Amino acid sequence: MASTVFELMAPNNKIPLSDNARANEVLEVIMAFARQDFGKKVSLKNDDSVLDGIGAGVNMLGEELQHSTISLREKEQLLKEIHHRVKNNMQIISSLLSLQSESTEDQKFIGLIRESRNRINSMALVHEMLYQSDDLSKIELKEYIETLSSSVHRSYALPNSDLEFVYDIEAKVHFNIDKMIPIGLILNEAISNSLKHAFPKGKGKLRVSLKRQKEKYQLLISDDGIGFKKDFDPEKDSHLGIQLIYMLTEQLGGKLVVKSEGGVSYSILF
Amino acid sequence: MVTFTIMQIPKDAIELRGYFTWMGKDGIARTSVKPGIDITLEFAMENTKVVTSFFSDKKFPILINSRGIKSMSYEARRHFSAQDRDTKTNAFAIVIGSTISRVLGNFYLGINKPAVPTKLFDNEEEATKWLQQFLN
Repeated sequence: MASTVFELMAPNNKIPLSDNARANEVLEVIMAFARQDFGKKVSLKNDDSVLDGIGAGVNMLGEELQHSTISLREKEQLLKEIHHRVKNNMQIISSLLSLQSESTEDQKFIGLIRESRNRINSMALVHEMLYQSDDLSKIELKEYIETLSSSVHRSYALPNSDLEFVYDIEAKVHFNIDKMIPIGLILNEAISNSLKHAFPKGKGKLRVSLKRQKEKYQLLISDDGIGFKKDFDPEKDSHLGIQLIYMLTEQLGGKLVVKSEGGVSYSILF
Repeated sequence: MVTFTIMQIPKDAIELRGYFTWMGKDGIARTSVKPGIDITLEFAMENTKVVTSFFSDKKFPILINSRGIKSMSYEARRHFSAQDRDTKTNAFAIVIGSTISRVLGNFYLGINKPAVPTKLFDNEEEATKWLQQFLN
């Protein structure tokens, strides 16, 4: 039985035994590099042989790989730090807005501050989840939607309410920050609208679903509340929340359909 | 152990731990690695200091005899690539001969990407001829 890869490669075994051992050493070092163990080096005999040349090349390659790996890890750490700081700064802005609202009893002003805080928080959550994820470029939508929904729900803290959130979100759907920010803001607006207007009796259901539709995704946010007022036209209405949903859908390159049948639904195909 | 022909080293050449270094009468600086040596960053910086001392007002080319080198550390290779420093040289001609110097030279050119025009040569005559175009 052939005992080494090099014997298999050269079945006639014309390689001198010492060269065979050296070739195996080169192979072992390469395999160590593949395991990201860059501490190993090929020993050089300084005999001007081809194997010495290969060994020197492998050693240098290992040094380059080691430094590239370190550099990549440092960059990842830096990116995490940036996401962390962005999130912290957004939270500071949110807290400052909160402090501002404490100085007034004007409910309209307090409501506007709350809306702004929720918008900021929806973006901060993207950054928070990014630095907590293994893949710094993408986050899983399911976890994000559930976390954001409960955060928006808490912010409205409707007393004695009996609201249920129902999720039907495809698992393992990941988006990058360019998609997550508009998706988060859309969710925030749609859920906030439902919580503010759909349930005057404080009871009902909110549904959020995300399904793959061939090459695209369909995000559906709906409630079983009282629906829009009869004369309300979402396309012409100047309410900031709805306008934002239209704008953000455009940003996603998607198509929005808003319906008011047995509650309100926002269907976004993007 | 393999022996290598090294350049004619003049009496006024400066002997460093890893190199012999001098300025040629033709305006081309020369440095010859000591056979069987492992070049570290310390040795590389020592050499650069001497090469830089040849500078008066014009940048000059340098001929490097690397035949007989045993190894060069990552840090030394980075240093010689002159990427992050103001080098007083305007071209490198590297004379290679041994297998290791050949691998090192090619690696240096392909991976470390020196900041000034650099070429590998099998002999000193061709290297000198190429460097003459960089004389001011």
